[in-house]
Amino acid sequence: MNQWMTEQIHAAHSNRIEPREQAYYDALFEKSKARLESLRAEAPLHEGMDIHAALAEEGMDRRDFMKWASATTATLMLPAMFQPLVAEAAELFNRVPVIWTNLQDCAGNTEALLRTSAPTIDELILDVISLEFHEVIMAAAGHEAEAQLEDAMATFKGRYILAVEGSIPLGLDGQYGVKGPHAETYLDHVRRVGADAFAIVAMGSCAAFGGVPAAYPNPTNAVGVKDVVRGKPIINLSGCPVHPHNITSTIIHVILTGQPPALDNLMRPRFAYGYRIHDNCERRAHFDAGHFVEEFGDHGAKHNYCLYKVGCKGPMTFNNCSIIRFNDGANWPVGVGRGCIGCSEPDFWDKYAHERPVAAGVRMAPFGGVEKSVDYFGLGLLTAVGIGIAVHATASIMAGKKDEENA
Amino acid sequence: MSDRVRIKRMTPAMRIIHWATVFAVIVCVITGYYIAYPFYQAQISVEATESFVMAWNRWGHFISAIILDVTAIWVIYLYFFSRFEKPYKKLLPTRANIVEYGRVVYNLITLNRKPKGFDTRHNDSFNIVNFAILHLMLILMLFTGLQLYVHGFGSGHSAIGAWWPWMLHLVTDWTLWAFGGKVGVRVVHHALMYGILAWAMLHIYYQIWRTIFWREGDINIVFGGEKFARKRSA
Ligand code: SF4
Ligand code: SF4
Repeated sequence: MNQWMTEQIHAAHSNRIEPREQAYYDALFEKSKARLESLRAEAPLHEGMDIHAALAEEGMDRRDFMKWASATTATLMLPAMFQPLVAEAAELFNRVPVIWTNLQDCAGNTEALLRTSAPTIDELILDVISLEFHEVIMAAAGHEAEAQLEDAMATFKGRYILAVEGSIPLGLDGQYGVKGPHAETYLDHVRRVGADAFAIVAMGSCAAFGGVPAAYPNPTNAVGVKDVVRGKPIINLSGCPVHPHNITSTIIHVILTGQPPALDNLMRPRFAYGYRIHDNCERRAHFDAGHFVEEFGDHGAKHNYCLYKVGCKGPMTFNNCSIIRFNDGANWPVGVGRGCIGCSEPDFWDKYAHERPVAAGVRMAPFGGVEKSVDYFGLGLLTAVGIGIAVHATASIMAGKKDEENA
Repeated sequence: MSDRVRIKRMTPAMRIIHWATVFAVIVCVITGYYIAYPFYQAQISVEATESFVMAWNRWGHFISAIILDVTAIWVIYLYFFSRFEKPYKKLLPTRANIVEYGRVVYNLITLNRKPKGFDTRHNDSFNIVNFAILHLMLILMLFTGLQLYVHGFGSGHSAIGAWWPWMLHLVTDWTLWAFGGKVGVRVVHHALMYGILAWAMLHIYYQIWRTIFWREGDINIVFGGEKFARKRSA
């Protein structure tokens, strides 16, 4: 297979992670090292924010930090030799200006970062990130906040990362969501702030694909960033919420290489969304064995059987939470005994989030109206065919128009 | 019986294809329904390391799907290049074909009214169009099924090399776009099963109906390859 062709097609279409040669990594290593050196020469954007100080405050030592760096290197699917560079990149987080804007959502991605009793290293690193603007956690409001945004946009023009959280309502000319003292619509806002960004990172499924606000019947006609912004690198970090480790890993990738990571056909980084939940699930042996939880609380549930029949959508979901897990690797949704609802996939609320397998899941009829399963329609079709056959057969027998023996 | 002639209608190869398709569809439906909705339990007294109920169902599904795929490709070849008869000629929307199609349908809905107005000795355009519909459904099954299959190849490798997932992505990724993502592909793959079952019901009924009412032994075509027809036919 022609390597160039393979890469072209995969860049556009698939979740596949290409095998690379050692020479590729050697070149990348040198390039990244040079980048980090030039970044270190720059002054931090804000004094007094240092990852090691933040770690010490939480009682974590360098050993914890290096363990984290190894894990992140693995998450990024880089060889082990990159570990020191990853650690250095984390130290340089305060050189990357980030503007974080909240649109139509529950702010759950911000919450996921903030509301922890014991912050993980990812969260601490995101603490020292140079957040130039984040209206949920900043003190300023109104005209003051607006001025701060303008200032950040002007100072870091073309250099800042725009983190977008939440969907963009298009209904009513975008009037469902406005922000700032001038009531700028979310649509205008994300286009204006996005225009000067180095790259846009859509944080969570709402910003990536519309998410929960876009669920049926989508009253505000909500869409994701990629549907309204063109001509900018967009990285979709989907998930509900997005895993903090994937945020740090993505930003580290940008710091290391100056490039967004390789993306899949939904513009999600392949290092995080390249594999299926189902293929890295600890309950997979039970799936293959045919051991299924029939209802919550039964024998199977108590013995960690596969959750497929109670609606696990791991077989159709690409994300890395079955590998990296949540809360510093403590556990993850399937691990605690409830199925994956496909939170990182487009339309997950309508298509994935129910406690039945897809075939038995409730869905809208193609022509709208009733909510029934595929099997319901299928059996209806077979019944109709059966009735049709019965009617035709009866009529044929009664009419008795058999061809005569000697016609 | 002296006014009847024997007519050859299906070669051995065609009959093999027919029955391979029948059995593969039956296996695919049963195992496929199990994969979509595991309707029986594995013995829970057997350890997961010893039990492979879902795994065997998936194996059976893939093997019979491969049989279907291979026969479908063979059938497409025969449509155009068969030395026996080239069915594609009956698929072309020519005037003769359309008229014949209308007359066969008319014969069916008027409960075998005579005269039939078409030649019962060869395969008519109505039957051939129906077969083409089945094969289109099977081919759609092939594309949607292989798309679901390639989801498990996240690494880009397979036991038979990297070309295999690469090729599967190349030929089936359009289904993601056409049917609205992975769930859409799965729903289409599942719903098509009902389409194929409904088709099979109609097909079996119609061939039996022909046999009973036409009295030309049509049902033997698929077993012995031959039927009878009157000497002064049509
Ligand atoms: S619990 Fe879900 S992800 Fe895990 S094996 Fe079962 S279906 Fe797959
Ligand atoms: S298990 Fe599924 S629903 Fe839960 S966080 Fe992971 S991808 Fe989202």
